[in-house]
Amino acid sequence: MRSAGALLEVRGLAKRFGGLAAVSDLDLDVHEGEILGLIGPNGAGKTTTFNLVAGVYPASAGVIRFAGEPLLGLPPHAIAARGVMRTFQHNRPFAGMSVTDNVLVGAHTRFRSGLWSVLAGRARARDEEARQRRRAAELVEFVGLGESAAADVATLSFGQGRLLEIARALAGEPRLMLFDEPAAGLTPAETARLATIIRGIAERGIAVLLIEHDMRFLLPLAHRVAVLNFGLKIADGKPDEIRTHPQVIQAYLGDPGALADAAH
Amino acid sequence: MSELARWLAAAVVLAAVPFFLGEYHNDVYRKMLLWVALALGYNFLFGISGQVAFSHFAFYGIGAYSIVILLFQVGLPLPVAILAGVALCALLALAVAIPSTRLEGFYLALATLAFAQLFVVVLNEGGRVTGGTGGLMDYRLPEIFGVRITGPWYTTVIVAVLLGTYAILARLDRSWFGRACRAIRDNPEAAAAMGVNVARTKVIAFTVTSVLAGLAGMAYAFVDNTVNPPIFGLENAFLLLFMVIVGGSGRPAGAVIGAVLLYLLPFVLSPLIGHHHALVFGLLLVGAMLVQPRGLIGVYDALRRRAA
Repeated sequence: MRSAGALLEVRGLAKRFGGLAAVSDLDLDVHEGEILGLIGPNGAGKTTTFNLVAGVYPASAGVIRFAGEPLLGLPPHAIAARGVMRTFQHNRPFAGMSVTDNVLVGAHTRFRSGLWSVLAGRARARDEEARQRRRAAELVEFVGLGESAAADVATLSFGQGRLLEIARALAGEPRLMLFDEPAAGLTPAETARLATIIRGIAERGIAVLLIEHDMRFLLPLAHRVAVLNFGLKIADGKPDEIRTHPQVIQAYLGDPGALADAAH
Repeated sequence: MSELARWLAAAVVLAAVPFFLGEYHNDVYRKMLLWVALALGYNFLFGISGQVAFSHFAFYGIGAYSIVILLFQVGLPLPVAILAGVALCALLALAVAIPSTRLEGFYLALATLAFAQLFVVVLNEGGRVTGGTGGLMDYRLPEIFGVRITGPWYTTVIVAVLLGTYAILARLDRSWFGRACRAIRDNPEAAAAMGVNVARTKVIAFTVTSVLAGLAGMAYAFVDNTVNPPIFGLENAFLLLFMVIVGGSGRPAGAVIGAVLLYLLPFVLSPLIGHHHALVFGLLLVGAMLVQPRGLIGVYDALRRRAA
């Protein structure tokens, strides 16, 4: 564990939907360069936590601090501008645009030239566009979509669409990346490639918060794992500790194979 | 050819055409260019930003009426009148956009429809200021440095308005702003997650395109030297929508094709089938939606792919 404070600090976070407590009194820390896996059975509150960090809806109680600044109450676009970028579980490409242009939308908050410079065709605006285009091309290459850079997003396979989600989020120069079940729907080969990419992202010093169902994917990948059940955190530790944690095994009894397989 | 050279070539060709046309055809030509300018703006608003607004043609009317009123009733000099007209269009656009772009598609359509309808009511009830149902007439473009621009030379002004509109929209479209507009159209939630301020981007797109429509309207005011309420009614607001859809929504080339085709079609069809040309419009629209939702430009793309 690093000595400096966590990049993302969640304290006493709660979200109630009517009478249902989706998340209760949750504490989480994610450090720079760390991959934190957030797991739990269906309905455990993983997605709710994710959406609270991303600003999709307001919290009922608690605090979320990012780089020391409060995040709760900010709209999603302002959270993205602060360096928190996300992928969607169900790919959400911008239709009718090329792969590179999709990635450039992810770089939206990195553009410094205003509308007047754009309209006046100033050299500064043109240079910035060219620079961001080169960066987007690098990111497309990094996730392995180089050959499809100019293709319309409609021509991508599901797995390629997931890679596009990642490149697009990286274009926003995040300090924290949120992955919403990134391995869902991928083939084993694609899943292996995804793990390499996520490791590469963390090695760049980016903090990673990952929601995942697939333990076989998550446990070898995450540096630390937090387990939710019925909106409560029941465990938080290294993957090896999580595998043998009695409460976690209890929570996953409905799917005992998942943990057993993941141990191998 | 460099970009500047291409622009100059386009300007020279478009501006030279009226010198070879008679007065009647020159009039048809000017109005066609104005329709193209309007369709390009509406394509950005509807096709690229995905805002189903019916106020675009009303802003054309606001530009036309305001330049006449500001010049001949308020007595402002021409450059000041143009700036004041732009400011008026921008303020009205903000007043419509700020409350209504926060609303989703259907409500924006309703709000802008109400605005367009209200504009015609104001024109009809405006008394001496708007000239009521008869509108305003018997005015002429003021002299600029002692020269009155008339005939084919005035068409040059319209060419400048059209090319200016095209240049502004093309620059916006190819920038972070244009990509943000398209992203919002396709998936507002994902756009917000990428850091796009959805409401602000929509308001800016609405305001910029409305001001451009207003500028085209100012140029129109001196085409017929009369402005009256029936011109700016909802019929033309819908014609604009048809032009963009039939041509291929989201594509500037589609807007140009749609505007030219639907504007010229009645001239060709009227001698043959009289006022039933509206029926042909309807068939084209239904055809576009059923067979090729990307419009005529989509048909062109498909043919080119087949040829390749």
